[in-house]
Amino acid sequence: MIAGSMLSYEGKKRAVLLLIALGVVIWIAVDAAAGGSAHWSRVLVRLPLLLTGSASGWPITGGFVLNIILSIASMALATVLGTIMGLATLARFGPIRVPSFLLMNFLRNSPWLVLLFATLYFLPFEMHVFGMTIPFPPFVKAVIGLALPTAANFSEVIRGAVQSIHSGQWEAARSLGYSTGQIYRHVIMPQALRRMIPGWTNLYALLMIATALATVTGIQDVLTILNTLLAVENERVIVYFYLTVLFLFIAYCYPIAAIARRRERAVKGESL
Amino acid sequence: MNRIDALIELDNVRKSFGDVPVLKGISMFVQKGEAVCIIGPSGSGKSTILRCINGLIPVDKGFVRVGAHRVHEMKSERQMRALRHQVAMVFQQYNLFPHRTALENIMMAPIQVLGHDRAEVEERARKLLKKVRLSEKADSYPGQLSGGQQQRVAIARALAMQPDVILFDEVTAALDPETVKDVLFAIRELVEEGLTCILVTHEMKFARDVSQRVCFTDHGLIVESAPPAELFDNPRDPRTREFLGQVL
Repeated sequence: MIAGSMLSYEGKKRAVLLLIALGVVIWIAVDAAAGGSAHWSRVLVRLPLLLTGSASGWPITGGFVLNIILSIASMALATVLGTIMGLATLARFGPIRVPSFLLMNFLRNSPWLVLLFATLYFLPFEMHVFGMTIPFPPFVKAVIGLALPTAANFSEVIRGAVQSIHSGQWEAARSLGYSTGQIYRHVIMPQALRRMIPGWTNLYALLMIATALATVTGIQDVLTILNTLLAVENERVIVYFYLTVLFLFIAYCYPIAAIARRRERAVKGESL
Repeated sequence: MNRIDALIELDNVRKSFGDVPVLKGISMFVQKGEAVCIIGPSGSGKSTILRCINGLIPVDKGFVRVGAHRVHEMKSERQMRALRHQVAMVFQQYNLFPHRTALENIMMAPIQVLGHDRAEVEERARKLLKKVRLSEKADSYPGQLSGGQQQRVAIARALAMQPDVILFDEVTAALDPETVKDVLFAIRELVEEGLTCILVTHEMKFARDVSQRVCFTDHGLIVESAPPAELFDNPRDPRTREFLGQVL
C-alpha cells in the first residue's frame, strides 16, 4: 500500500500494464504445459499463411501484410481528402464551408462498417472516364471505404490544429500585409503541422485496427484467411488462432499509439 | 494644424462590438514625423483606434485616411494590403512567428509580401537587428528570447517593411520593468529619426518625454489632446485630471 502510494500515475500505469503482460505470459505457459503446445504448433504451421496469404510465406497475396498495405494506402488517400475537407471547413466562403462541414459530420458520425458496405455496393465494378476504364476491385473499394471516415476525422484534426494557433499570429501577419492564402502557407500551416502529427498518428493506429472490417469486401486479409482456415482446423484450436491475430494487431498498433502519445506530450510542452 | 496636410486623419469614427459602443466619435489627425501618445483607462478604446487605422478592425461609421488610402471605404482584405505596407504595427504580445528565427522573422514579410531581393533584405534585417542591439541573437528562435528581446525583434520586423507610420499597441505592458527601458530606448530612437509614431502606452513619463502630443481617451472619446507639458501639468478636463491623479 505504501509503495503504491509512492508511485506516480505514470508509474502505476506501467506497473498495471506489466502485470497484465505477465499474467498473459503465465497463462500461456501454464496452458502450454497442460497440452496447449500442440495447438500452438498448429498455429505456428499456419502463421506464414496468416501473415502473407501463402502457405510458404512467399509471394505476398494477402494476410496481415495486406492489412498493413491497406492501412497505408487508405491513410494516404485519407490524408489528401482530409486536408482538402479540413481546409474547406475553414473557408470563409459559405457555399464551400457549409457543405463540407455537413459532409464531414456525416462521415464522422457513421459507423465505419456501414460506410464500407456503402462503398462496396455504391461503387461500380469499373468506371469509364474519357475512354479510360478504371476498375474498382474489392481492394480499391476497401481503401476508399476506410479512407472516408478517416479523412473526416483527419479534417477535424487539421481544423483543431489550425484553430489552436493564437489569433495574434493572424493579426501580426495581416498587419504585415500578408494575404489570407499567404498567412496559411507561411505562418499558420508550418505551426499547425507540428500539432497535427500526434492526431494523425493516432488516427493511423485506429485505421489499422479498422482494416479488420475490410474482410466484408472479400479481400484476402488476415481475417478472411483466418475464417477459411478455421473451416479446416480442429474446433479446439480456434481460440489460439484468434489470440494470434489479436496479438498481431496489438504488436503493430501499440508502438504507433505510444509514439503518438509521446509526440503529444512534446507538442504540449512546446513554448509559444 | 491643417487637416488636409495630415498624414493620418480620423473623423467621427464610431465602432461597436455587438451592443457595446467602443468608439463614439473619434477625431484626430497626425502630421508626418509626429509622435502621438494615446493614454487613458483600460477599455477606453485606445487599442481599437490603432486597429481602425490599419484596417484590422473595420469602422462602423466615420472617415479614416492614411496618406492616400481611404481606409473606411475598403471592404476586402485585398484592398487593405497596400495600406498595410505603409502602416506597421507592434503588439503587446510581440506576436513573433515562433517557427522562424529572429532574422527570418524580420526578413519574411519584405521578401514574401513586398517581393524584395533576398540579399538586400538580409542586409537590411541585419542592420535593423544591430539597431535594436540584438545582432548576436539573429539565429535564435523567439522562444529562446526574453520578452524585451522579442519585442525589439518585433520592432525591427515592423521597420523592415520601411513603413511611413508605426503603431505601438501597449508594447511594454507585458514586459518586466528591467527590459522596458531597452524597448523604450529603441522607440525613442525612431521618434528622434522622425518616423511617424502613434503609441498607446501606460508609461506616462515616456509619453511626456518622447511625444509631441498626447491624447487622453475615456469611454470611446478623445477627451483632451495637447502637447505633453500642457496635458500633464495643466489638464483642462476633470476626467483627465482624475485619471492622471490616479496614475501619477
